[in-house]
Amino acid sequence: MSDNCLKKWVLRTAIALLGFPVVLPVFAQQELLLHSSPEIWHSNATNPAFFPEEKKFVLGLPGQALDASHSGSITYGDVFVKNGNRTVVDFGGIIDKLDSSNKVQFDQRVETVSLGVRLPFRLALQAGHAMRFSGAAVYPRSLPQLLWNGNGPYIGEELAIAPSASLARFNEWSLGLSRKIGTVNVGARVKYLTGTNALSTDPAHASASVYTSPDIYQLTLNTDYAFYSSSIITAFDTSGYGFDLQFADFRSVTFTRNTGLAFDLGLHARIGERLSLDASVLDIGGKITWDTDSDYYISQGTYTYEGQVFPGVDIVNGADNLNFETKLDSLNDIFKFSRTATSFETALPLRAYAGVNFDLTKKFELGISGYLSDRPGTENDTYALGASARYQIIKPLTVAAMISINQRNAANLGLQVFLRPGPVQLYFTSDNLLSAFNPANNPAVNFRFGAALAL
Amino acid sequence: MIPNKNLLCQIFFVAVLFWISCTKVNLDNAELGDRTADFAFPLFSTEIKLGDLLVNLLNDTLSGDTIFVNPDNSVTLFYSGDVAEKKASDIFGFLQVGIFPMGDSVITTVIPGPTGVGVRVVDLKAGTLYFSLINTLQDTVTGYFDLPQMTKNGVPFRTSSFTVAPGKSWNSGVIDVADHRLNMNNNQLSFRYFAYTPNGNRVKVPNLSGFDVGVAFSNLKFSYLEGNWGNQEYQLTRDTIEIDINQTNLKGDVRVTNPKVTMRILNSWGFPTRGVIKYLGFIGQNGEEIPLNSTVFQQSPNGTRYVDFAYPLWSAGEVGQTKYTDIDLDNTNSNIADIFNSQPTRLIYEVDGISNANSDPDVIGFLTDESAIRLQIRVELLLEGSVRNFGAEQTVPLDFSGMSSLDSAGIESVEFKLVTENGTPVDIDGQIYFQDETGQPVDSLFERGQSKIMTSAPVSNGVATDQTRTENFISMNAARFDHIRQTARSAFMKIFFTTAENGQVPVRFLADDSTTLKMGIRVKKRSE
Repeated sequence: MSDNCLKKWVLRTAIALLGFPVVLPVFAQQELLLHSSPEIWHSNATNPAFFPEEKKFVLGLPGQALDASHSGSITYGDVFVKNGNRTVVDFGGIIDKLDSSNKVQFDQRVETVSLGVRLPFRLALQAGHAMRFSGAAVYPRSLPQLLWNGNGPYIGEELAIAPSASLARFNEWSLGLSRKIGTVNVGARVKYLTGTNALSTDPAHASASVYTSPDIYQLTLNTDYAFYSSSIITAFDTSGYGFDLQFADFRSVTFTRNTGLAFDLGLHARIGERLSLDASVLDIGGKITWDTDSDYYISQGTYTYEGQVFPGVDIVNGADNLNFETKLDSLNDIFKFSRTATSFETALPLRAYAGVNFDLTKKFELGISGYLSDRPGTENDTYALGASARYQIIKPLTVAAMISINQRNAANLGLQVFLRPGPVQLYFTSDNLLSAFNPANNPAVNFRFGAALAL
Repeated sequence: MIPNKNLLCQIFFVAVLFWISCTKVNLDNAELGDRTADFAFPLFSTEIKLGDLLVNLLNDTLSGDTIFVNPDNSVTLFYSGDVAEKKASDIFGFLQVGIFPMGDSVITTVIPGPTGVGVRVVDLKAGTLYFSLINTLQDTVTGYFDLPQMTKNGVPFRTSSFTVAPGKSWNSGVIDVADHRLNMNNNQLSFRYFAYTPNGNRVKVPNLSGFDVGVAFSNLKFSYLEGNWGNQEYQLTRDTIEIDINQTNLKGDVRVTNPKVTMRILNSWGFPTRGVIKYLGFIGQNGEEIPLNSTVFQQSPNGTRYVDFAYPLWSAGEVGQTKYTDIDLDNTNSNIADIFNSQPTRLIYEVDGISNANSDPDVIGFLTDESAIRLQIRVELLLEGSVRNFGAEQTVPLDFSGMSSLDSAGIESVEFKLVTENGTPVDIDGQIYFQDETGQPVDSLFERGQSKIMTSAPVSNGVATDQTRTENFISMNAARFDHIRQTARSAFMKIFFTTAENGQVPVRFLADDSTTLKMGIRVKKRSE
């Protein structure tokens, strides 16, 4: 039946291009509050000039960060609900909340290990490895509408169902050097990138629509849709109704033939006893060329399913019968993606941080931080600006709070807990505290945690 | 204190890590949650042309009848009787075999010709002649026979010479007379023989036995015969034409605007022939006889209706030509319109012929071996008229097996959408009965009885000018739909035609008038 076909096709597409991010842990950090804490080793990820003061050797232990959001008020928990032992996709409660066009973005960073060593001549060397997963998607409201309600309620309407998406999962191998020049610490870092998975829709072929005629519900399916994939989609199975996407195995691979470079620059200046300034630009020129299992998939065509067409003269003569055989196999033809092996490039979002901190007392500090992210080719640029206060309750325990504004929300309350039992650094930080403890029920999620050993 | 705080922090981080693991979701087998979705898709469409429909409804049991699409796309139904052909040779016989004893050396005899015909010229295309002589004299005789009225290429016929001794016999053998012409005088033909004794005297051979001297004809066939035609009456044809245009047991009022009965006579007989209408009438639906009266026929003093057929004139050199006589009986010269309003079932006619009905002695006529009168009567109905609740029935096989993939378990309801786009000047009301494999009804499409399936197209001057769309929505709950889907094997369609404006005005049915019939379905399905 066509309902099966439509459902499967749209559902698979949705999972592939929207649901894909959630196969990974829903967890991470927006870096604004972290960035305001240079004494935390992992803040070095936001500025290569950061190096904890008075420390000569730092071993970065694992840490994770996630900054993710959905436009509007849609939360993860709205969409994915438990049904017994299953997690099912439930669009019932969100369709009315969706805009005509909706955005999802996420940046995930998993620090595996890193190292920092102070060298003679006021130099400091840094190296590390991190796994990053970055993506954004824009999808029309009509996609979940069609999935959830069927095409019946949308007779006479052309439903655009094509999402656009760009996502990449890759390893970041970094090597950096910083030098203190006067009171200014200047840092630079080169990052060797090895990509593991990528998916990027082609803006030149970004349409797919379903039209149900008010006549007798003839279905017109129109596609001009294409995307690049590397090690994500391995095949389309069109043997049954609709098609099944065959996903690649998402194993962690550290070295691949998908390589690229990116550069970070930063400075951290102390002006006087109480004031410090910092600025950084990250992922400069960041780009990965995808060669491994990289393909270009494109589907183009218009297909109108009009049901069976009986020759009238045969019906009149009784020579034919009304056989309601639904020839939906031909639907496969319209959705059949042609696959061409090709290499392609994805660009990393260019990010920039800037901040100023002022020590009111030895234990109490105020700061202002700003963040910009430019995601090439998408409308998912982000920004954040926050004011923070930091207080050292006891020597091993510092807490910080931040009020920030970003493109989603005018008032985000952030919190940071920083523990320093001896040489150990443990921290948890979030630019959006409420979401941090209940990420499934917030449209924007932002937090980071990690550990380090600093001597 | 500090160790306690560290412990709290450690617990906190463990909790966070635990939460992370809990929020991992694998959507490789993701499914949509429980919901009721509404799916709509098309089932079928078909376009039925009026011409095709008429062929099926009106023509499938009437072999020999025709539906003719006129240049303006109007449609004419012809119900025709058999072509009655009478060859002249079937009626007007000519001598085939004859034996003529010759009691004298010259005899003149009357050759039997067609009754009432004074033959004067006959062209023979086949036949033989045979002369014989037994010498009853005491002397040997020599001589020959001749037939001066029979010529070939202008040369009179004469046999070869004979010499016959006394008591001996002679015969000419079989002589082929094909391609010879007989020039007769009012059917009279003279035979002669010339016999001489050895001394040169012409003598007469006594015909003692009556067959000693004679001539015989055998298998004579003419290709042309000419003469004075007399008055003769003969039977031409009697036939029946079935004209039941309502093939069903359903009732309906049918009005045909201008029905016609046409009679066409093709005549190559070269003499005047009068067609006498012995019987012309219809049989009504209840078997009653309805005479077809018309002013187009002439009437003799004794009340006989007749028509004189056109014929080729000998005097005009029209030998071999065919002349046509068309007689149209319509509502201007007959009561046929009234008859057709009562939906007659057959036409019966009987026609006889009379040659030279006026007994004109000066009529010179002719026949050839191909001369014939062909007479055909047909009923001609231009499909222009009106019907009201005119019924038709049709059974169409159904096969829902292709919908087996529609899992009925989750179906809450279905709604069929039946659409007609009607380009004919006809309303159709009807009902579709779903039948099982034994033909027993299991359900019907419309629960409230027959419904308006399609509405007449707009009509101007009796002709459909556009299309009219009619939509019917048929809702079924899951159980009813499932029952039909699993048991119905055929659809018995019982439909009733009514022309535009409730059959009050005549409309014209054009062959390319068409109706599109199509159906879609909406299924409300619970997915769990």
